[in-house]
Amino acid sequence: MAKVECSHCKLEFDESVMIIKEEDGKKLYFCCKGCEGVYTLLNSKGLDSFYERLGSNKLEPANIDFSDLDRFDSEAFAKKYIKTTKDGFSEINLIIEGIHCSACVWLNEKVLHQSDGVIEANINYSNNKAKVIWDSDVIKLSKIIEIIRAIGYDAHPYDPKIQEEKATKLRNEYYSRILVGVFATMNIMWIAIAQYTGFFTGMERSHKNILNIAEFILATPTLFYSGWIFFRGAYYGLKNRFVNMDLLVSAGALLAYLYSVYAMVTETGEVYFDSVTMIITFVLVGKYLEILSKKRAADTLDKIIGSMPTEAFVVKDGKKELKPIETIEIGDIIETKAGEKIVLDGVITKGSAMLDLSFLTGESEPILKKENDEVLSGSIVIDSPIQYRVTKNNNDSIVYQITELLSDAVTKKPHIEQLANKISGYFSITILTIAILTFLGWYFIGKVGFEQSLIIAISVIVIACPCALGLATPMATLVGISKAAKEGILFKEAITLESMAKATILALDKTGTITIGKPIVIKQNFIKEFDLSLLYSLAKISNHPISKAIAKHLEEKNENLKELNLDNIKEIQAKGVVAKYKDIELLGGNTELLKEYNIKFDIDSKNSIYIFAINKEVVAIFELKDVIKPNAKEFISKVKELGLKVVMLTGDRESVAKEIAKELGIDEVKANLLPQDKASYIDKLHQNGEIVVMVGDGINDSIALAKSDIAIAMGSGADVALEVSDVVLLNNSLSSLQKAFVLSKRVFRAIKENLGFSLVYNITVIPLAVLGYVNPLFAALAMSLSSLIVVGNSFRIYRSKI
Amino acid sequence: MSDNVLILMLGISTFLGALGLFALLWGLKTGQFDDQSKFLDGARFDGEDELKDAIMMEKKKEEALKRKREKEKNYMPGD
Repeated sequence: MAKVECSHCKLEFDESVMIIKEEDGKKLYFCCKGCEGVYTLLNSKGLDSFYERLGSNKLEPANIDFSDLDRFDSEAFAKKYIKTTKDGFSEINLIIEGIHCSACVWLNEKVLHQSDGVIEANINYSNNKAKVIWDSDVIKLSKIIEIIRAIGYDAHPYDPKIQEEKATKLRNEYYSRILVGVFATMNIMWIAIAQYTGFFTGMERSHKNILNIAEFILATPTLFYSGWIFFRGAYYGLKNRFVNMDLLVSAGALLAYLYSVYAMVTETGEVYFDSVTMIITFVLVGKYLEILSKKRAADTLDKIIGSMPTEAFVVKDGKKELKPIETIEIGDIIETKAGEKIVLDGVITKGSAMLDLSFLTGESEPILKKENDEVLSGSIVIDSPIQYRVTKNNNDSIVYQITELLSDAVTKKPHIEQLANKISGYFSITILTIAILTFLGWYFIGKVGFEQSLIIAISVIVIACPCALGLATPMATLVGISKAAKEGILFKEAITLESMAKATILALDKTGTITIGKPIVIKQNFIKEFDLSLLYSLAKISNHPISKAIAKHLEEKNENLKELNLDNIKEIQAKGVVAKYKDIELLGGNTELLKEYNIKFDIDSKNSIYIFAINKEVVAIFELKDVIKPNAKEFISKVKELGLKVVMLTGDRESVAKEIAKELGIDEVKANLLPQDKASYIDKLHQNGEIVVMVGDGINDSIALAKSDIAIAMGSGADVALEVSDVVLLNNSLSSLQKAFVLSKRVFRAIKENLGFSLVYNITVIPLAVLGYVNPLFAALAMSLSSLIVVGNSFRIYRSKI
Repeated sequence: MSDNVLILMLGISTFLGALGLFALLWGLKTGQFDDQSKFLDGARFDGEDELKDAIMMEKKKEEALKRKREKEKNYMPGD
């Protein structure tokens, strides 16, 4: 049958399943009612140019759902997400779901602009975040959300961490300052060339004055606008009683500037305006590089809290009532539907269900909970509705405690002191002292007069190029970061590369980090021939990891698998699935399921078993197991070679953990750990003075990740884990983890080389400056050259093998 | 070369450069570079309609503000 494109979402479907409509002699096809609705709406509003803009992009079929709109008008919601602007309008930050291309952004903005009461709607294409400002007297938020949903998108509120806004603002601020600096430096340089030529060949005083004034005009905004950051930094440094590089930079630049102004006004000597702008601009670029690679503020807590429902159905006297979580008391009965989260800790009073506890344990296999069993908040009810009695209120429930611990850990994250910071402190003090001594020496002993002594002292500060020192770390780490990104290792912050080289302990999570994290078929036994499509269809029904693994296994081994239409499907909790195909009875699950259906079959294995039976006769047996990732053993031994101790932390049973540890040669194992236990173990390591690298993937690892010095997450891991981590391994492989270690050592070496070079440079040129042999041309050249060498050396990392 | 020529050359070239710099800074400050792809799409697609839209939004804001002010003026405490 021919495939046709849906007129709205542009996906292709069989003609027979499409809704066909005729309009203006044109045949329109729609894959679903949703798409049809959106198409008609856009046409009636005159927004059909959307489809022109869409080009060859495809959308998702519009799934329009107007339920739960009320929640956007509730007071609890408003308090949490809605801000009031200065003008008295309401403002909210939304994440728009379903945006695929710029046409989508255009459409959303357009419909919002057209609605009454919306004052401003601005959607960012790259991150799908939208800021909407509206007049709450004219339109309600629920109506705005309804408009967005009506055109086939969905919107969720989010709480923009002020930190994130701050970070962008800071970057923009630096950017403006650098722009001014670069502009002034470039212009001063070509004026300075005339000055230098004049210095050697002589030029008229009046020409020199004009050039001096032009340089003065350009240098002034650079020093006071671009250089403001250094003055501020120096001030805060002095206030806290320590000398930092900012002090050296600002003192040098300011003195050179003041002297140049003096030289310009009195028409004596040379001006140093070019040095002023160059120092400021170069060091500012170094600082900017550091900020550029700084980790964006983690929205961690928002993510966890945002994923938790704010309200729940409380059952009282046979009636259901939606209540905010904070007002629910101990002893209340809450009803939770399939697919929803348990909001408070409690005990099941009615029903039984499979619960996904991966939030707490990291294990993906769901667990059956029956009446009178305890349920923990944060777990997800997978299959059937349950009612439970609340035993702990909001502040004592485990989710709340985890978020508390997490927020604590994130704010108190340890920071390893950077080599460059340490050195630059000493460096600044030394240079300033030398400069003062030089001045005093020339003035009292050399007797060259106040002016000449001052010039020489300033030249010491100017030539003691802080540029190379300032660029030493950021350049090397930035090159390292881009090299890592090429290998699928995402460093969120530059400093991590440097500190990772100093790590002493590697703590690994088991499931998902060392192992693949999902069961896979390790053994299969076909007792009798049968149509594999039957088994495939049965396995496809369930979302249980074992069923999924079977379906995937079949897909890999066989082609021509068909999904048949099964009837009488019944999922039996923690046991398996039964269904009928025509008259054939299908049954797939574990031994418990066989017992329930009175099929006699004996098998004993440590691994998970999946048995498939047709008409109560067993035809195939599969054994499944979560297996260790390839090259895990090699990785562990390599890491040990690098001098790190390896520890495994897992929420799994001790016996399983021990077996894997033995196989891989891991020295230490801690099993049966809850999220808090993992974190406190990291604390213990810290107390022993260790620098810890933690690798994990689940929400249950996130506190430990946040507490560790360097946190590394698997790219497939939970959002929160990715969020708190410093490094993300995009391809989840242990070999890229190994590469990260090697790279960090390489970068650390480059940093040391850079620092070493700039120190050697200074040791050679400072004596020359102290003796008064430095002229402006030489100073400018030497300064640029030293910076270039640092940049060049850093780029060598790019070519190194890791 | 006379002094005036030198002044004129330096002055005009720096001034022109400064104009470009200020335009860039202004764009940065008003958030025009915040979203790279939107910025490029604006150049590709935006036409008269978008300009009208922008004017409409400004008018709408003005009206809403006016309404707000009037409401505040006419506000009478209940008794």
